[in-house]
Order: sequence, then C-alpha cells, then structure tokens
Amino acid sequence: MKIDVKHTAELSRITLTPEELEKFTPQMETILESVTLLKDVNTDGVQPMKAHVKFDELREDVPQESLTQEEVLRNAKHKEAGFVKVYGKVFGDIEES
Amino acid sequence: MEYDTIIGLEIHVQTKTNSKMFCTCPTGYFQKEPNSHVCPVCMGLPGALPVPNKRAIELCMLMGLATDCTIANEIYFDRKHYFYPDLPKGYQISQYKNPICSDGSVTLPNGFEVKIERIHQEEDVAKSTHHTSTSESDYSLIDYNKSGVPLIEIVTKPCIRTAKDAKDFATQIRQIARYLNISDADMEKGQMRCEPNISIQEKGRWEEKDGKILPIGDYELNPKVEVKNIGSITAVEKAIEFEVERLTKELGEGRKPIQQTRGWNANKNITEFQRSKETADDYRYMPEPDIPVIEVSNDDIERIKSELVELPHEKITRYMNDWGISQYAAEVISASRKDASYFEKLQTLLFEKLEAKIAAQEAANWLMGTVFALEGDKEIDMNDLSLLIMKFKEGKITKGKAEEMLKDCISNNKDISDELDMFEKSASDNAGNIQDIVKQVLDNNPKAVSDYKGGKEATMGFLVGQVMQATKGASNPNDVKNILIELLK
Repeated sequence: MKIDVKHTAELSRITLTPEELEKFTPQMETILESVTLLKDVNTDGVQPMKAHVKFDELREDVPQESLTQEEVLRNAKHKEAGFVKVYGKVFGDIEES
Repeated sequence: MEYDTIIGLEIHVQTKTNSKMFCTCPTGYFQKEPNSHVCPVCMGLPGALPVPNKRAIELCMLMGLATDCTIANEIYFDRKHYFYPDLPKGYQISQYKNPICSDGSVTLPNGFEVKIERIHQEEDVAKSTHHTSTSESDYSLIDYNKSGVPLIEIVTKPCIRTAKDAKDFATQIRQIARYLNISDADMEKGQMRCEPNISIQEKGRWEEKDGKILPIGDYELNPKVEVKNIGSITAVEKAIEFEVERLTKELGEGRKPIQQTRGWNANKNITEFQRSKETADDYRYMPEPDIPVIEVSNDDIERIKSELVELPHEKITRYMNDWGISQYAAEVISASRKDASYFEKLQTLLFEKLEAKIAAQEAANWLMGTVFALEGDKEIDMNDLSLLIMKFKEGKITKGKAEEMLKDCISNNKDISDELDMFEKSASDNAGNIQDIVKQVLDNNPKAVSDYKGGKEATMGFLVGQVMQATKGASNPNDVKNILIELLK
C-alpha cells in the first residue's frame, strides 16, 4: 500500500528531511498493510459495535467551574497577558514553538 | 458573454447554552479574562473525554424543525482533523456524513425557496489574534474561552442566484434564531458568521443536479470563490456583488479565475485574496470514538417541536391576509418577537372596542407612525396606549394632539391616563365658551367667511384649523365643524 507521507506530514505541519521521508515511508506502509488484514474479514450481517445512549440521558446544560487561568497556562511554553502565545504566520507555517 | 451567478451559503451560528458543547465550562466568554473558561476537555489535553450537551443538540434540532428539515433518529459525531493553534486537540468534533438535520428549506419574502442541505452540530474554536513584531518573529495570542462553545452550521444547496436573496436568507436565519431563542445571532460579536461560495458560469452550459453544479457537454466549470470575514448582513450582499463583478471582469479579460478564499474588507468595501485552494481540503474525517451514538425517539423530536412558535414569515402572511396590513408594515412589526407580541396584544385590547381588522390596522399605524420612533428603551403601557387610540377613534382628540401627548408622556415620564383626564376636563371647559371662540374666529377671518359662503367649501378646513389653534387642540374637530356650519348658515 502506497502512502504519501510528505502530504501527511504537511497536514500535521511537521517538516521531514528527505532521509526521514525515505525511512518513514516504508515503515508506515508496513503498519497500514498489517491493518489492511481486517479488510479480509467477512462482516456481512454484523452490527457495528458502537455504544448507544438515549437522548434523554445526555448531560444537562449546567455549567461548572473551569480551571484557573494560571492552571490553564501552566503547560504553555510561551504566554503573554493571560494568552497562550504561539509563533508563526497566520496562513503560513506555524513553527513548533 | 452572459453568466449565471451561483451562490451557496454556509452560516455558522453559536447556540445559546449555559455550558459548552462537550464540557461543563461556562459559555459566556464575551469580555471575560482570557483562558478563564477552560478545562482539560476544551483545552484538548490528552485523555479528556467529551460529553455532549443535551440542550445544544435540542437547539440544533429546533433550527432544523423551523426550517423544515428532517431530524435524524441517530446522532453521530466525527472528528475533522486540521492542525492549527486555535484547535488544540488537532481535530474539531463535528458531523460528517450524518448531520442532525437535513433537506430543509426557507421561503424568502419574494417567494423564492432556498434549499437547505444540512444543519450539523459542531464546536467553536479558540480566538486568536495575530501580531507582527519588529523585535521577534510574528506571533499569535490565543484565548481558549471560545473553544468548545456549541456551534451549528447551516449549509444551503448552491441554489441562490442573487446577492439580495443571499442577504434575505441570512436575515431570515438570524430572525428565526432570535425568535426561537436559539442564538442572539449578533454578527458583530461573531455569534453568526456567513460564508458565501460564489461562482459564475456561462448561461445554458451548466445544470444543477441533487445540489451539485454540473457542466453540460464539454463545458469546463469556473472554480468557486469562498468569502470569509463578513461582519454584517449588509456585507453579505455587498461582498457577493463585489465578487460577481470581479469574476465577470476577470473572465471578460480572458483570465481564468482560480479557486480561492478571499476576505471581506469592510473599510474598503472590497474582497481581498487570502489563499488559493489548489488542493481539496483533506480533513481525514473519522468517527468520534469517544461519543456514543445518540438515539433520538420521535417523542424527543415532538417535545422539541413544542418549542416552535409562529415564525416571522408566518406572522407576515397572517397579518396581511387576516387583517389587511400592508406587507411593509407586517415585515417591520414582525421583525422582532418583542415588537410582534406588543402589536398582537395591542390589537387584542383594541378588539374589545373595534372590529378585528380596524383594531389591527390602528395598532399597526400607531406602532409604525409613532410608537417605534418614540419608544427607544422605554416601554409604553399598553392599556394607556389603547385608551389614547380609542379617544382618537371616538373623535375626542385629534391625531396630532394625541401624538403630542404620547411624546410628552414618554419623554417626561407622565402618565397617559392622567393626561387624558386633564385634557378631557379642559376640553369640556372649553366647550362652554367654544361658541364665543368660533364667533371670534369668524370675525377675524371675513375673507374666509365670504369665500365659504361663495361656495368654496374647502375653506371650512381652514376655519376648523383656526378654532383648533385657538383652543390649543382641546376641542373636537367634528363638534367645531358642526358649530361652524350652524353659524355660517
């Protein structure tokens, strides 16, 4: 199975070197191939296994306390005036910061 | 070359819930401290579990019911992947193949039916503000308070042909959202966002099939343009008009348009290039494994249906057909639920004394002519207003005087019924010496008197006016006229 690792990497905004591409592409293809085995299983008449919940049992619309701003920003590498700060251009590359 | 304009609209509406779509964080983020309404779920921390908000889904269904959609009996959520700082999970929880509402329609005031393909439920993303800096690289500041607020997306089929219809459709969606309390739908606050898709195609060389635009023969379709960043209903119309003109010019000059996203610039009244879309979006949708299938019974749907109220377009038809109100007046009165309800209550009050049609027409005239213009933030007591209107109808007060009194009462916080009492008292005081006043007016206007006697009956109006002026409006013009006729015999 062929896979466009470069495209996939771009969608995730990850830059791969040509060497990495060459290394990862067959690895990912192998992974996909092994998953493809599932396609051989006959699933005729088998119901999809998915949990169901009744509409009435959904969460009621009652707000509860959130984390504090300090807690929220604790994992942010860069912050400014209560905001999370990220570097990069709007529609261009957003570099990992 | 003649072209057809083809427009499809995507409208996002933030629905009015207390808590977010998949977590219990509060939704009211407007002017709040950044990142103060955030939890592990809307921050997208690993292991956090989304739990759907029942009310949000009800509001999505309500919008679907108000627009004649079919409501699904099973609700599925899907993950839509893209990588951007406003979406910390790396995917947005949305709906792909099975939206909650599908195949609806809305009829515009001009009778045109806009077909709705789907209305689906999703979650809003964080707010990012972009900054350029001389001392460091460009950066964005992100506030996750908006992340996870319930959002519905209404998608029309590409069936709209004019900018005006697109604007009217957006207006109607906003009205429905407000009537049913689904959303405040304030575009300036971002509670409602319209994104038109626009293309122009050569006349007769394309067809619409199942909501898709297809070429006829060897014709090659022109690509479509998506316009974002539209901050008002009027900008919907302006942006589309601008694009149609730009695309027509481009084709006229022999240039082939490219598929692109453009942004509306409200200061310059133009659209600006944002990015080209050479490749199709690749969102790698997959079923959301963390949310079970939600089973919706017909009873559930019926229960939500009971929240429907008579919608503006239904009111307009009823006002026009049952009460003979003009289309313009019916549209103005039904524009907001509050005004429509005021009108209907006033009609009911007047109906105690007047015929239904007359009651409605008087109510409409007074609201349109005076009350809406005066009211502002103040409420006019309905009983007082109907009392005043009835005095006018009984000929006890002129319209001018009544309006003056209404204005005075509103701006100076006076009580209308007190003022009416005083007015009637002074009117009856005047009645005693009205004969004297009329005689004096006749003495002062010998020319008018001789004109009248010479057959110029129009002069009567002038004389009545003179008497009304002398009594400062505190007399009944009909009575005055009768006295005049008597004296001029």
